[in-house]
Amino acid sequence: MNIEHTIRKVAAFFWRDFAIARGYRGALLLETLEALFGVATFYYLSRFVQSPELNSELPAGTNYFAFALVGFAFFDYLSVSLSAFDSSLEEARQNRTLEALLVTQTPLPVIIAGSAVYPFVALAIRTCVYLAWAALLFGFRPQSANWPGAVAILLVSILAFAGLGILSASYSILFKRGNPAKWLVLGVSGLVGGMMYPISVLPGPLQMLARLIPVTYSLTGMRAALLAGAGWRELFPSIFALLVFAAVLIPLSFAVFAWALRRTKITGTLTHI
Amino acid sequence: MPSPAISVTELEKYFPPALTGWRALTQPVARATEKALAGVSFDVKENESIALIGSNGAGKSTLLRILATLIIPTRGQATVGGFDVERESAEARRLFGYHTGGDEGFYARLSARENLAFFAAMNNLSRADTRQRIESVAELLGIQNDLSRQVRTFSTGMMHRLGLARALLHRPAILLLDEPTRSLDPIAASAFRRLLKEELVRKGGTTLLFASHTLSEVEELADRVVLLDKGRVIVFDSPRGLCSATDTTTLEAAVSSLVGHLVPLQHRA
Repeated sequence: MNIEHTIRKVAAFFWRDFAIARGYRGALLLETLEALFGVATFYYLSRFVQSPELNSELPAGTNYFAFALVGFAFFDYLSVSLSAFDSSLEEARQNRTLEALLVTQTPLPVIIAGSAVYPFVALAIRTCVYLAWAALLFGFRPQSANWPGAVAILLVSILAFAGLGILSASYSILFKRGNPAKWLVLGVSGLVGGMMYPISVLPGPLQMLARLIPVTYSLTGMRAALLAGAGWRELFPSIFALLVFAAVLIPLSFAVFAWALRRTKITGTLTHI
Repeated sequence: MPSPAISVTELEKYFPPALTGWRALTQPVARATEKALAGVSFDVKENESIALIGSNGAGKSTLLRILATLIIPTRGQATVGGFDVERESAEARRLFGYHTGGDEGFYARLSARENLAFFAAMNNLSRADTRQRIESVAELLGIQNDLSRQVRTFSTGMMHRLGLARALLHRPAILLLDEPTRSLDPIAASAFRRLLKEELVRKGGTTLLFASHTLSEVEELADRVVLLDKGRVIVFDSPRGLCSATDTTTLEAAVSSLVGHLVPLQHRA
């Protein structure tokens, strides 16, 4: 595969999605306001639930507002990873561009990966908007944040989540709609991953389950980097765990995806809705 | 490009039956039992124009979709430009352009130029080449003044031209067209046929394989005709050869005589 062509294709996907999104400026404005409402909700919820017991359960140096804000903002990366890949397929089937794309000189994995670039960039901007609202209006001050550490956690999280996303796309290729695997991963991750509360409040078996899913390590690492200013040594366990998830999930997901793609080319259902 | 441009040898394709309810969960691994192609063989020479004809369900679209690398055959082999469409699909895709008459697969909010530029990138065209090719194919298809318009404002005929422009962007040596004049009005269909015959096949040296239900179109465009019935090749000959062999004077009569019943093919649209 020619790397220059691949980069150009990925850029073409980004500009395609950006140009389409630009056509819906009202939606962009509303999303910015929606972020404000989300941040405000967490702020007032945190004032309501503030208690010494809760604070003792939170990681050092954080309050509930900052804890929930980071959990909420970065849990979105899991949601987007799980939906970006199969949404791109679904959309291409719906607007009938999938067949036209498949007869070009671009392999399907590049089509799917390229289609996920804009959602991730848009999510990064949305996350910044969340944090900006929180800093401007609600006193969120990540002064001691280890920003390079946070970026590293984010990148390895995306790698680990992308494996789950490609598995989800494989399901979508085979069965077209309704993706129970996606909802299961999101549901379990939402419950035990520590988005809204620390996993230490969960019963023992759920805490064990939490250790088996990548979002737990992602949120732990992200909070440590952003809120506690943790150094690389403290972030290493989270980064290592996420790299292990990525090392297992990415090859597995590509193998499953290749099998699913071949099956649909045999059954002739690749472009079916 | 090696000769033949397209080679199809003992090609078979079976699909699994459409399953419903809980059984639909086993669809991806269901046994393929529904026959679509049963041992189809023929060769297309370079710069030749071949028509695939036959009634609905005869296997025309399945055959084109196999050649376009969109589905995998059950048995047999098909090559495009000497490349096996299953094992060397990436190489094969460099050589052909594929377009269907019902093709509306564009990004409605983007302009025609933006759409073509996107698909040019997907076909590895450089930026400079993209600009030049978009102008060139747009002029060829008479849409040069509409390149800045959003595709959602295009009529069916315009969309059709844009679809063919997309198929031609990367200068394919082979064109695979599935019912290329479906949904076009008679004047647009006639202009489209002229374009295919004069500009692409005669002047451009393109090899053309197209499926059609319109016999006058077949007579006008095709050097030879593959008549399919229930997934089998009934005959592979020139339109004149078909008439001689069946002792008939029209292609419609020849086809009816060969298939043994009146196939639902159409006169000129």
